[in-house]
Order: sequence, then C-alpha cells, then structure tokens
Amino acid sequence: MYFQKKRCIAMLLAGGQGSRLKVLTEKTAKPAVPFGGKYRIIDFPLSNCVNSGIDTVGILTQYQPLELNEYIGNGQPWGLNKTHSCAQVLPPYERHDKKSGWYKGTANAIYQNIDFIERFDPDYVVVLSGDHIYKMDYAAMVAYHEKNGASCTIAVRDVPLKEASRFGILNTNPDGSIYEFEEKPKKPKSTNASMGIYVFNWSVLREFLIADEEDQNSSNDFGKNIIPNLLNAGHKLMAYSFNGYWKDVGTIDSLWEANMELLGDNPEFNIRGDERNKIYARNNAQPSSYIDAHAKIYNSFIAEGCEVYGKVHHSVISLGCTIGEGAVVEDSVVMPGVVIEPGAIVRHAILGEDSRIGRNAVVGGAFDSKEKMQISVTAKGAVLAPNAVLQPGEMI
Amino acid sequence: MNVMGIIFANDAKMGALTDMRTLASLPYGGRYRQVDFALSNLAATGVCHVGLITRHNYQSLINHVGSGEEWGLELEEGGLEYITPYAASTVDNYRGKLESIYTALPILEKGDEDLVVMIDAAVLCNIDLKKVLQAHVQSGRDITVVAKDGIANGKKQLDLAVKLNDDGEIADLAVDYCAPKDYLAGMDIYVLSKSWLMAQVREHIAHNLYHMDRDLVLNLWQKGEATVNVYPFDGVALFNETVEEYFRNSLALIEKEVRHDLFVGNHPVYTKVRDRVPCYYGEESEIKNCIIADGCVLNGKAENCVIFRQVTIDKDAKVENSVIMNDTVIGEGAQLKYVILDKDVTVRPGTKLFGTATTPIIIKRGDTV
Repeated sequence: MYFQKKRCIAMLLAGGQGSRLKVLTEKTAKPAVPFGGKYRIIDFPLSNCVNSGIDTVGILTQYQPLELNEYIGNGQPWGLNKTHSCAQVLPPYERHDKKSGWYKGTANAIYQNIDFIERFDPDYVVVLSGDHIYKMDYAAMVAYHEKNGASCTIAVRDVPLKEASRFGILNTNPDGSIYEFEEKPKKPKSTNASMGIYVFNWSVLREFLIADEEDQNSSNDFGKNIIPNLLNAGHKLMAYSFNGYWKDVGTIDSLWEANMELLGDNPEFNIRGDERNKIYARNNAQPSSYIDAHAKIYNSFIAEGCEVYGKVHHSVISLGCTIGEGAVVEDSVVMPGVVIEPGAIVRHAILGEDSRIGRNAVVGGAFDSKEKMQISVTAKGAVLAPNAVLQPGEMI
Repeated sequence: MNVMGIIFANDAKMGALTDMRTLASLPYGGRYRQVDFALSNLAATGVCHVGLITRHNYQSLINHVGSGEEWGLELEEGGLEYITPYAASTVDNYRGKLESIYTALPILEKGDEDLVVMIDAAVLCNIDLKKVLQAHVQSGRDITVVAKDGIANGKKQLDLAVKLNDDGEIADLAVDYCAPKDYLAGMDIYVLSKSWLMAQVREHIAHNLYHMDRDLVLNLWQKGEATVNVYPFDGVALFNETVEEYFRNSLALIEKEVRHDLFVGNHPVYTKVRDRVPCYYGEESEIKNCIIADGCVLNGKAENCVIFRQVTIDKDAKVENSVIMNDTVIGEGAQLKYVILDKDVTVRPGTKLFGTATTPIIIKRGDTV
C-alpha cells in the first residue's frame, strides 16, 4: 500500500480512564465525555489538528473504548477520511516479542505504535492529550519548533505562582530554551506550566522511545521520563508559550467550569461565530429545537433537538433534551438526551447522558460565592425518581 | 426488493424565494432544504441508487446535496446521479416528468433494480416507503399512487386528485383539478416497475406525450390500459407550492403533532452538516413558541417564528410570526411581523416591516433593509 510522506502527524493520547470524573467516565473514556452542548472533549484536539493542516491523526485508546471508537468512526466529521488523511484508532495489541500489552504509560503507547508512525515517514510528530478544551494552531507551534532547530518543543502557559506546584513546570532561559523540568515542584522557580502538547523531531523521539522501553525502571511517561532524558542528553528543548484559553477538564469541577465559561456576552472561551476555526463534531440528525410559549431562557446554550417548556438560566443544554413545564435548570450542564420532567429543579449539576429527572424532583442546591461549591452528578442513563432529592455533591 | 429512487427537484413559483434556487433547495424548518425529506425517505428505505432530476437554477441544489454523503449515497455503484436537461441532445428542456425520465433512460437501464419510486421535493413528509413498496407488490397493479386526505378543499388545484369508493377502489381520477373535500390529493409519490416505466416512457415520448399525471396515469387508467393502486397516507404531508403554503407550513412546525410526525415519525431527517455552535440565548432574550436552529445568538424577542442557523437578533428587536433564514442579522430595536427574510439579510436597527399571514413580506437573499 502507498503512504504519502507527511511533514507532520499527530498522536492523540485518548486512553486515560479519567477516574476523577467519577460516574461520568464509568462507561465512557474521558475524551468521549460530552462538552459544550454538541461536542465531545476529543472534538477540540481533533478539530485543532484539522484546522492546523494536520491530516493524519493516530488516536491511542485503551479505557472503555466502545463509545469513543464509535464516535471517531472513519474520521468523516473532521474530514479525516480522505485518500491521504486518516483518524486511525490505535488500541493496544499483541505482538510476537512480548513487548506488547496494555499501554504502560504515555510514552509506551507511542512506542507500541512506532510502525504506524513510520508509514508516513514524518519529520515531526505532535503529541496531544484527549482531555483538554482549547483552540490552538499547531502549525504555528511546529513552525516555531522548526525555526529554533529544537528536538522537542513543549507548549506552556503562565499559571499563578501559588498554583504552579500542581503542574509540570518548565524552567527556561531568556531565549525560551528549557534547562529544567520539574514535575509538581514544591517550590516552583517559574510559572511556565506544561500543557501536555509536544512537538518532536520524529528521529529523536523514536530513538528515545526505544531507549526508554529498554529501561526497566522507567514509568514510560513523557513528563517523567522522555523529557528529562532529552534534557540530560543535551538536546535543545523549547518552550512555546500559549496565551489563549486552555482547560484541563479532568475533574467534575473543571468540567463544569469549562462549560460555564462558554456563556455570557463576553465568554472566557468564545466558540461562537468563528467560521474559520470551527469545532467539528459527529452529527446526530437532530431537528431544530422547539422553545415553548412558557419557556424562559437566559444566558444559556441550547443545542439542536431540544424541547424547552420550563426555565433555563446560565446552563448548557445539549442535543435532544426535554425540559418539562415548570422545571427550572440553573447553573448546570445537561448532557445529550436528558429528560427533566415537569416541576423538577436542577441547580449546580452535571446531568449525564440520557439521565432522567423525575417530576418535582430536586437536584443540587444554590451556593453563596464563599461556600465551597459541590456539583451534583447523574451518571449516564441514571434515573432520579419523582419527588426525590439529590443533595449538593451527591452522585447517582 | 431492489429499488431505484427518482426525485424531481422542481421549479417553483415563489417569486424572490425561488428566483435563484429550485423548490428542492428552498430552506425549510430551521436547518433543512425541501429535498432533505425526499432523500431521507429514500435513504431510510435502503435505496442506494437515486436520480435527482432538475432543470433550472440547480447550483444551490448541487451545493447542498453534493455527493449525497449525508444520505449514504456517496457510492461507487449506483449512489446519487444528477439528471440535468443537457443529458440528452434530443430534448431541449423538460416539459414534463416523462420527458425528464426519457433523458434519464440510460441511468435507469444500467441498474439492476426491479422497482422505481418517484418522489417530489414539493411535498414534505416522513413516510415509510417500505410499506408503500409492499402494498404495491401485493396489489399486483401497474402504478401505486400515494395520496393524502384533508388537502383538497375546493380551492387548491391538485396535480392529481383521487376519489375512492367504499371498497378503496378508484371512483374518479382528475388532473389539475380544484377538487372538493372528498378527494384525496396525490402526493407526487409513485411506485412502478422499472421495465414497465421505461417502456411507457419510450411509447409516450414517441407520441409527444410528456405529462406524468395526465398522460401516463389518467389516460392509461381511463383507457383501461393501466391498473392503478392508491396508497392512502395517514401521516403529516405538507404541500409547499406557493408562498402562502410555504409560510403557513413553516409556522405549522410550532405544533407538536406536526413537528413530531415530520422529524421523529418513521426515521430521522438528514441534512447537510454545518458544524455551527449551539444557539446562545442572552440575558435579556425572550423567545416564545419558536423553532430555533443552531449557531444563533439571540438577545432580542421572538414569538411564533422559525429561525434558521446562525441568525442574530439584537436586543430590543422583536420578531413575530416570521421565517428568518440563515446568517441573517436583525438589528437593535427592529420590529418585524409576518416576514420571510431570506439568507444573509441585514435588517438595520429600528427597521419596521409588517406583512400579513396570507402575504408575508419577502426580503431577498443578501439584501439590506
């Protein structure tokens, strides 16, 4: 078979369990978790690839892949199903030499798919995470990498100093080159946090992946092993600073926040009206939404296929939801296919796909700004009985 | 059953709305074009060879339907084929359906289908064609005509009007007839055997006969040369042939029964994907009884409206009983009643436009008012 040589391909790490999303990822891989009304988290890095001119994407899956694989399909929604483009799902597999099995770490996942990458003979490989919400032009980052003649370039963002100890911190020289990498440092020397977005020269990465695999003590991780090894070997690593919106939606709170940050007249993350850098998503053939005469909707996103009879304030309502008469939804993320029966009240909640809130049931509560907010969550397909109460922070 | 579909895209007499497009590519229901319903009806039946017949203004149609990918028709064998007037040098332009099928005979010949479903973009419905095909085969007749009661009212001229007797047999057939209420209206959906259709088309064209309803159905039935089966359809069927009908049938989607029958009914309705973001409702928006598509930014008021993709309604603007097509912007404080705004219209702040239910004001594509 003929494979076109590619200057740059992307490898998207989508195998993580996302255990901090609790019930939302019990049966779904984190990248397949719905976001923003009509998207799934993976739509953001995938669309970024397409919008950056990267047409070959390997997607490394492992945890609960059924829904994710179905969703990616042949890559058609992102235009990755053409003669010389692909969205190739890469699950763990068995090999003759025992070097196979479950992906042991992020670096091992790429190591096990060296054959896939070699087909395209790429100059550069972009390594991405499947659990971040942002829009970014990877082409600009690759150009920066190339211009600086680096072996590896890592995207960084400035974080507040007091939060820096939660991140992988890159300490740089004035020219942007990295001299030190510290994973979650107690006393951070700088505020350049790694965003988990890497550009590598493929020849260098290949060599280091093979060496890393030989090292019995390695945890086969980019942050813990590959990056420090590259630094120790004297390779040139550059930090690429990115100032746009970026959010790791790995926790219930951050997933809720990121959804809320789409709202408002001047949202923190504005995805409206940007015709050139659209976020693409698999289509569900839903009709337009119906908004009833008694509905009241303020400061909210409503996706297609909804029927709204009640009140919606400061919320994201996803595809195909029904909000019954007299129901109230506030400060909530309602995932696709949810039914909220008449009279139910939902506050500060994330309602998982196809869950059902019974008539006059109550989910969550209101919070003062000083209180520690606790998001109530329903799992996919969960049912809250009529008149039942789901307390703040509770999950079903 | 191996079935080929033929869709007639149709010209239409809807003034500014169809000056630049076929009736098939007329936007409908917030995110659809009329042809989506015919295509989805065929796709849900598993039809994978469709001829789309069009004679004028078909740029917007081709642009919308493309390779037929959204309906699973982007196939190497069969799939979607456009049948345009220039496919045959012997026919200048189509005068009727038979003439257009005549130019499509090579396409009909090459497939191995037994039956043909003919369907029209003017009538919107969500119909299970498998049942119609079964009924056709069981009847053993030459032609099956799908027809709908409650459309005939003595005023609307029907392409084909059918009166049934108590046994469900045809008591009367008429063409271009303002039939009284006890007639069924032909929905321009026919099932026939492909070989019989091809033979009839050759025969009719040889005698300069080109009108499907008049020459093939009515005339052959009257002469006893063809047997006709009528399939009464009990779902929602919307005939969009005039501006008044289009306007009324657009706002009819606000009724739950109509909306659910048309969109949820037998199968989903597919359309071209645009990847717009969900609709954003601002802090001061007041939206009541509306059909709203994706990508809109709504800060003003709307009541009894169908609002297409990526429409902007600025604050203090008020839109009532109107159809607003995609990418249109309605400026601050504008007041609109009974209007149809085509695509990409700009309504300046403070503009007032008031039409009536029977003669809505139409603003042409791309205009600024």
